[in-house]
Amino acid sequence: MKWLDSLTEGSTRAVARRTSRRGFLGSLGGFLVGTSGLPLLPVARGAQPTPDQGGTPAKPGAKPDNSQDPTSCEYWRHCAIDGYLCGCCGGSQSSCPPGTEQSAVTWVGTCHNPADGRDYVVSYNDCCGKSTCGRCLCNRNERDTPIYVPFESNDYNWCSGSSKANIPYHCSTARIVAVAK
Amino acid sequence: MSGRLLPLVAGAALSLHGTLAAAYEPRINYMLQCMGCHTPDGSGEPGRVPSLKETLAPFAKSAEGRRFLVQVPGASQSTLSDEELAQLLNWMIQDLSVTKPAGFKHFTAVEVASYRGTPLVNVQAARERLLRSSAVTVTATAH
Repeated sequence: MKWLDSLTEGSTRAVARRTSRRGFLGSLGGFLVGTSGLPLLPVARGAQPTPDQGGTPAKPGAKPDNSQDPTSCEYWRHCAIDGYLCGCCGGSQSSCPPGTEQSAVTWVGTCHNPADGRDYVVSYNDCCGKSTCGRCLCNRNERDTPIYVPFESNDYNWCSGSSKANIPYHCSTARIVAVAK
Repeated sequence: MSGRLLPLVAGAALSLHGTLAAAYEPRINYMLQCMGCHTPDGSGEPGRVPSLKETLAPFAKSAEGRRFLVQVPGASQSTLSDEELAQLLNWMIQDLSVTKPAGFKHFTAVEVASYRGTPLVNVQAARERLLRSSAVTVTATAH
């Protein structure tokens, strides 16, 4: 076993002659600073998807894209909504919560779906019969006209046109009716 | 792309966008302009929103009826052009109406324009008069 002792001693002394403890700490520090600085390099930022690849440009302080989240006001179908989202009130974006009834008359508009680039006809049927939901108010009103242009204005209580007159408004749905073409 | 070509292409793209945005099929225009109140099949809501299904075809037979169909506020005050309104009325009479008028004379943009400028003062009275007039024979299901 003497040869192993001498081999270990020899290699340890060789390493000790070539390196220093300060040198090791210096390289470790350089490695740590280098890895933390890597994401700041243009190479790292270039790896993120650009708009023409289907991604959104990363802007400092930009809001997250919620256009595909049905519970968000920014959901693409909600582009012309004016009311409380039924998805927050016990229903969904296409069905009324239990205990409410869908109004027969409704406001109809078009919304652009960024996911497939098409426009859709969306019907904003109100759900009526319980007091106001009060959660997730969303008021985007794309292509809504002022009340003096009455046929394309959504500022009515659509529940008053339901089969039961003047029952309270609860929340609004956003149902897809057709592809607009 | 050269600097001189760019405005040309941009202009062409803009005008194309304009046409596309305005040109919906009559079926889609029905959804956007009428369906909200008259409901998807045109039956409306008894006592509140008149049904379109039974009255369209009989009204389209008489001159007074055709004038009414264009001058009724939802039609005349819509954002549709005269051509689009004419096409929408033709589609409604052919696809939505329960009775199909024999030898139906299609609406044209010129005919629509000639009625559209004159507003109906009393819509309900004009409708009652049309329903009573001998020119209009509405089936028993009409309200």
